[in-house]
Amino acid sequence: MTPMHALRFEHVTKRYGGTTVVRDLSFEVEPGRVTGFLGPNGAGKSTAMKVLLDLASADGGRATIGGRRYRELENPPRTVGVVLEPNAFHPGRSGRNHLRVLADGVGVPKARIEELLVLVGLGDVGDRHVGAYSLGMRQRLGLAAALLGDPPVLVLDEPGNGLDPQGIRWLRDLLRERAAQGTTVFVSSHLLAEVEHLADEVVVINRGRLVATGAIADLQDAGISVRTPSPSQLSTTLREAGATVDSTDDGALHVRSMPIEVIGDHAHRAGIALHELSARPGSLEELFLGWVDGDETSDAAQTQQEEVVRV
Amino acid sequence: MTWLRLVRAELRKLGTTKMPWVFVAVLVVISAITATAVLIGTDADGSKAFIATREDQRSLLAFGANAMMGAGLFGAIAVAREYAHGTVVPMFLTSPRRGRAMSAQLVALFVVGGLLGVVGAALTIVAGAVSIVMIDRAFLLTAGDVIRIVAASSLAAAFGAILGGGAGALVRNTGGAVTVAVLLLIIAPPLVVQLATDAATWVPSTVVNVVSGVGTETSLAAALVALALWGLVPAAIGVGAVQRRDVI
Repeated sequence: MTPMHALRFEHVTKRYGGTTVVRDLSFEVEPGRVTGFLGPNGAGKSTAMKVLLDLASADGGRATIGGRRYRELENPPRTVGVVLEPNAFHPGRSGRNHLRVLADGVGVPKARIEELLVLVGLGDVGDRHVGAYSLGMRQRLGLAAALLGDPPVLVLDEPGNGLDPQGIRWLRDLLRERAAQGTTVFVSSHLLAEVEHLADEVVVINRGRLVATGAIADLQDAGISVRTPSPSQLSTTLREAGATVDSTDDGALHVRSMPIEVIGDHAHRAGIALHELSARPGSLEELFLGWVDGDETSDAAQTQQEEVVRV
Repeated sequence: MTWLRLVRAELRKLGTTKMPWVFVAVLVVISAITATAVLIGTDADGSKAFIATREDQRSLLAFGANAMMGAGLFGAIAVAREYAHGTVVPMFLTSPRRGRAMSAQLVALFVVGGLLGVVGAALTIVAGAVSIVMIDRAFLLTAGDVIRIVAASSLAAAFGAILGGGAGALVRNTGGAVTVAVLLLIIAPPLVVQLATDAATWVPSTVVNVVSGVGTETSLAAALVALALWGLVPAAIGVGAVQRRDVI
């Protein structure tokens, strides 16, 4: 049976010079789930991952994999597969030789290299120099390297960068399959729509701080779009049933805190015709922007308050 | 066992790019220059006195100092480019105990540097011997001379490679690492000798000449120790540097 490894960040703080890049960050990533790690550029996602992988030292707190620091793991690539830098290859070395170098260090048989080259779709170009690979091919090679030791944990920083739509779909299927087998999949991305399709859970950070975490399904309970010729009647009905209802600029209703099928049932019972009833597209994006903007607004308010106090 | 796997990975890393072959090509050019010098070069009086005796020929064909310099550049480039290409990330992910990873890399550099030293000395001796015979002179080196020159070149290159490796780990920038290696092996020694004449015995070129059997400034044992220190001290500084700082 594959051992299960949760990732745990406990009050991790990381500073570069006078700048705090990760600030008292605490959260947990569960095995058997795909957890999306979200945040705007410069939020501290990559830094947090580097601390987890002992590539950077924390100024406070600790990050562990199955209760142990990365450096304490016996043969770490057998436990954690990593995609961190999209260009961490010697351009003059072939893809196959890149994997051979890693396989030597990890102690993986040659047959596994061939198996992985085929799995990631590089079977025909394994002998080509990596310098001649497209970004998508390098991402696939990075994924092959991450899977080399067949690890029960995957830590992937923007693995979808440069992949074409088929590649994105292949990656999604691969990660979902691994998670179904019990692998802990922790994947950072700025492609919110992709994370929405891929992840079970999300961890959102902004300016190094945790701003939201939880199951996507729970976090998205606000995102239903409803169109009806009787918006005010439906609004009243749904509000009475406990939903939060807002009108949008395009004439639709935005309903939160009520499952989509319950909205349909209420409309049916009230004899209200519906022209649209759908999960709001890009609702994770809206939530994300709400979390990040909210965090910044709260920061601005705090700063303003501090300034007032100082005056 | 794990450490031996890391050494094997580092050896494969060095062997799967063109860099060693570029250095072998440079060695071929150097041997061709040696042969040309024998064929058409003369002393100031127009004679071939520079290859007249066994000592002259030994001095001409001793490759140790060149080997140390060349391998120093090889080591500096090999380690610094890990940072340039980002391959230091998978290296330290495979072995987060950085001392083990770095020591495996330095051992691989020692081995490959030593091999380059053997190739360089062998090419130079063959080119020199053939060209000496071509101008109807006798090749005067004994088998013992040849073995000592090749062994000295190999050792000099091996320690030169880890000196360069230490510079690469310390500086992390390829140009900077090459500069540090050149500074340590070529520029700094004569300056130090200007300040302290006695130091002349211990600069790289002198100790390598003693090991090659060309110089007699100190004993062979003392020269070997000095040669080892020229490689090991910068290497140890490099290993110490990577322990403390963030990889990326």
